[in-house]
Order: sequence, then structure tokens, then C-alpha cells
Amino acid sequence: MKMRPILWLFLPAALLLAAFIVLPSFDLFRASVFDPEFSTKHFQRLFERGVYLDVMWRTIRVSLAVAVLCTVIGYPVAFFINLQPRRRQTILLFLILIPMWMSILIRTYAWIVVLGRDGLVNEALAALGFTTEPVQMLFTSGAVLAAMVQILLPIQILTCYAAMTEIDLDLIRAARVLGARPRQALARVFLPLSLDGTLTGLVIIFMLSMGFFITPALLGGRQDRMIANLIEFQVQRLNWSFAAALGVVLLVLTVAMIVLLRAGGRMLARRILKGGL
Amino acid sequence: MKHTKLALGTAALLALAQPAFAQDQVLTIAGSGGVVKEITEKVFLPAFEETTGWKTKFIAAESNILLEVRTMLASGKMLYDAMEVSAANYPIGVKDDLLAPIDYDLLDPDGELPEQAKKEFGVVAAAYSTVLVQRTDKNPEGRKMESWADFWDVETFPGPRSLNPQPQYTLEFALLADGVAREDLYDVLGTEEGLDRAFAKLDEIKPHIPVWWSSGAQSVQLLSDGEVFYSSTYNGRVAKLQESGIPAEIVWNGGALHTSYVGIPKNAPNYEAAHDWIRVRTMRPDLELEYVKQLPYPNFAPGLFDAMPEDVAKTMPTYPANADVQFVANDTFWAENLDEIRERFDEWLLE
Repeated sequence: MKMRPILWLFLPAALLLAAFIVLPSFDLFRASVFDPEFSTKHFQRLFERGVYLDVMWRTIRVSLAVAVLCTVIGYPVAFFINLQPRRRQTILLFLILIPMWMSILIRTYAWIVVLGRDGLVNEALAALGFTTEPVQMLFTSGAVLAAMVQILLPIQILTCYAAMTEIDLDLIRAARVLGARPRQALARVFLPLSLDGTLTGLVIIFMLSMGFFITPALLGGRQDRMIANLIEFQVQRLNWSFAAALGVVLLVLTVAMIVLLRAGGRMLARRILKGGL
Repeated sequence: MKHTKLALGTAALLALAQPAFAQDQVLTIAGSGGVVKEITEKVFLPAFEETTGWKTKFIAAESNILLEVRTMLASGKMLYDAMEVSAANYPIGVKDDLLAPIDYDLLDPDGELPEQAKKEFGVVAAAYSTVLVQRTDKNPEGRKMESWADFWDVETFPGPRSLNPQPQYTLEFALLADGVAREDLYDVLGTEEGLDRAFAKLDEIKPHIPVWWSSGAQSVQLLSDGEVFYSSTYNGRVAKLQESGIPAEIVWNGGALHTSYVGIPKNAPNYEAAHDWIRVRTMRPDLELEYVKQLPYPNFAPGLFDAMPEDVAKTMPTYPANADVQFVANDTFWAENLDEIRERFDEWLLE
């Protein structure tokens, strides 16, 4: 068999994918329907008991919220950096990268110090006379959301920034010369051009959030469990087939949501291109 | 799976066969490795050899001691004379008929051992407790928790609490708080209504539990950070907490006493001599004191606490005043019912 030499470059990635993604996924599917005989009982249990549906729905909600918050905060930051002189851009990007180099575990523990009953925020509130009793901030959904946004935000800033550096700023100037007001130039020229990169960042963050484990486990209460926590819980209990079924559901949900987000994003892009915001 | 078992068993047989044939008066004892093995070899084995004239061979059965015993029984040659039996293994050993009954007329003719120490197929070798711990600095002025009912009383004792997210020893605490007597716990828990009652009681406390601890270390961390004021935990952890300057105190009342045992496998070749070993391992306060100094897992050796400094003694789960107010965790009950109850408990947690 003769192969075009360039195709050989593809081989390492294909092998890697087959060994570490395709085969294990297949194994996961198999484990979820064999225990040890073929049975769909694990999926039935998943969809019949309200609690598991609640957890799935919550995982999607939290992940969407994190992705949207990261975008709302990250986009202007990236825009601001993009406008700075070259040297200052490097410094600012470096500052954003530093926290990313720290492990998620450490950053999550840091939030415990910040949000605890004897933590920084509560002590500050008490010192300023706002509260007499410590406010329960740890083990709440707010704590999980704040920490997840803080942990994932650099990714969105960097993705947006990368998309923005591609845009020729002369296009904005051209729009201004042709009579567009600054806001118009931004909404009708800059925004659509940066939209694709922003959407990519949003989808990446959504995807990462869907599988988040440490942060909800350490900062959340019982009501903040996500699918990944449920999977770990079942693995600990040696209910491996049930854990596999949960894994399959997580995979399917994530892929389905990504498709939806992408389609939604494209529709939005078309609307903006046609008539502006 | 079958092959692994077979291979394991054969390996164990080969390892043991030689010395067992070579010498007659050798008692073979199986137990944990590591620190336990070290201390056992230093403290108990020489004492046994001195008093009986027997030699000993201590095997650290690291993997699965019941599996080994099962294989030896199937092969028709039991090579262990005595063995350590963990709390979780005991009911399985009894159910699967792997253990020989203890002859208490032979072991303890004068009845020196307290009833708590004596099980049909094993004698208590070590004990620890799951207890209620309180941060005394967080208690309301002049009041202290004294029971699980107090733990449930959020009016008198406001503040966040924590419990273990596993049904065993959490459901019992709920029933105790609901007024069930210690001796009736497992009868009540064994009925559908009793189980409902425990869960109903847990419903009451659920909103006051911001976090459920999943390891002993975490329970202590939460208390130390002040994230929770009250929690269940293992008694051995509390000393560490106090050493770090946290004002914490154990409420022994309603604690769950867990025990591990020393027993005799079925068809053991030296049944009578094994009793001599059990006597040395469980009834000699002088030796036990040496052991407890290094590992705070005491047993019911008669007079152990007379020899112990009072302040140390009071921190032991089997100190009479402490043991008397606790219930003995029923591992047989949990071996039979855990799977079913745990599923309900897990889903209750998520609700």
C-alpha cells in the first residue's frame, strides 16, 4: 500500500486518539450495559429517579453559567489588552497566565481561605461593621460558581485575545472613515469578526465545566454535586457499571450541548451580520 | 479470578508448608503487617513463647486474609492457628463458616474478661470509636452537648454541623437522637418503619449540615477551621486536634464502639495452644499497656486501666466510663443490610 508521505504525519495523533480516547470510550459504553449480563437497568435507574436528573440538569446549568460569565468578563478584558501597546500586552498576558500555572486544587483551597467562616471576606465584613455573625459562603452554589469562573477565566481571555489579534484594526478605521460611529464600528465590524473565537472559548469552558470535580467537591454543599462527583461516588461504592452509565450520559450530554451551542452561535453571528445588535 | 485465587492459595501453602512440618511446637499466627506486626513481634510473641515454651511464626497476611483461609480450608490443610479478624471481616468469617468458636471455659475459666470483649468467634483485640466532637468555645455560655439529642437540638446549640455520608454509624446516631435505647438500635433499624424513622430524623438535621465529611482528616479540618462546630469523628483524631490548640471535646455518650478481634480459623491444627495465644494477646494488661503506648487501640485486658495513668486512660474508647455509654457497632447487621440501605442513603443525600 502506498501512502502520500504527508499522511504519515497524521499517524501519531490517530494512534494516540485510538489508544486513549476511542478504545476507552468503547469500553465505557460496554461497561454501562453489561453487569455482567446485558442490561439497561443502570440507565433506567438514572432516568427514573428524579435525583439523578436533577444533578444532570444542574451540571448543564452551572456549566452554562460559568461559560457565559467567563465570556462576559473575559471579552472586555481581552479587548482592553488588545488596545494596549505591544510591551504592556506581554506583561498583562503574563499576569493572566500566572494563576493558570497553579494547580486547580490549590486555587480551590485558596477559596476556602477566602470564603470560610473565619475567612478574609467574613473578617472584612465584620471589621467594617456590616455583619455580626459570619455569613455562610463556603459550601454554597455561589462559592462553586465564583471559583469555577476564576479558574477558567484565563482560558476565555486568552482565546478572545487570540481572535482579536487576528483582526486588522484598519478595518475599524475604514468603517469610521465611511461614517460609522465608534459603537457602530465595534458592533458591526469588530464584534462579528471576533465572534468565532469567542464562541470557541465559550464552548471550551462549557466543556471543561461539565467535567469539573474538585471545586464542587470542596466548595459546594450536598446540593452542588455535579455529574463528575456522582461518578466518583459510585466508583467508591464499587458500582462501576452505574458509574460507567453516568460517564456515558456525561459524554453524550456534553457533545449534544456543544452542537447546540455551536449552532446557536452561528445563528447569532448571522443575525449580527445582517442587522447589527 | 479463579486462577488468581488458586495461585494465591498455592503460594501461601508453599510458603508455609515447610516450617509447619519441620517443627511441631510452632504456633502460626496471621495478622496485619507494618507497625502492628512490629509491635506484636516485640511485645506479645516473646511473652507467649516464654509462658508456653512454644515457638511462634507471625505471617503478615497483607492481601486478603479471608481468601487465604478459604483456600486452605478447601485444600484440607489449615496452616494458621490464630488470626487477626477486622471488624468488617468478622461477620463474613462467621457467615461463611471460616472461624472456629472460642472456648471460653478454656480461655477464661475465671470469667475475667468483660462481656463486651467476648464474641462467639473472636476476642476483642483492639477498639476505636466514632464519637460526637464539639468545639467547646462555640457552645452557648455554660452549656455542653451531652448526647446526639443535643446534636439535633439546633435551638440550644446553633451552628453548622457535619456527619459522615455513609449510613453505618450515622443512622444509629439519628435513632439515638430520636430516643431509641442503645440496646434496641439494630432491632429498630432492621424494620422498615425503623429505617423510615431514622431517615425522618435525618431530614430534620439535613439543613444544618453544610458539608458531609468523607475522611477522618476532613472532619478534623472542618472543626479546626471553625466551618462546623459539631461533628462525628474517630476518637483517635481528637487528640491531634487538641494538640494543635483547638478546644475540642469528645461526647462519649452514644458513640459507636468498633472492635477488631483475634480468632481461630476453622480446622486450626493447634486449637488449644491458640487459646493460650489469645490469652496473651487480649488478657495481659502489662503487655497491652506497652502496645497502647505506641498504638492507641486498647482492648479489654482486665486491669489495663489500673496500670494506665488516669489522663491517658480517660481518652481511651474502652475506658469503662466511656465504653459503658457507647453502643457496640453491629457489623453483622451492616454486612447483611449495607448495600440496600446505602442505596437509599445515597439518594437521600442527593435530594
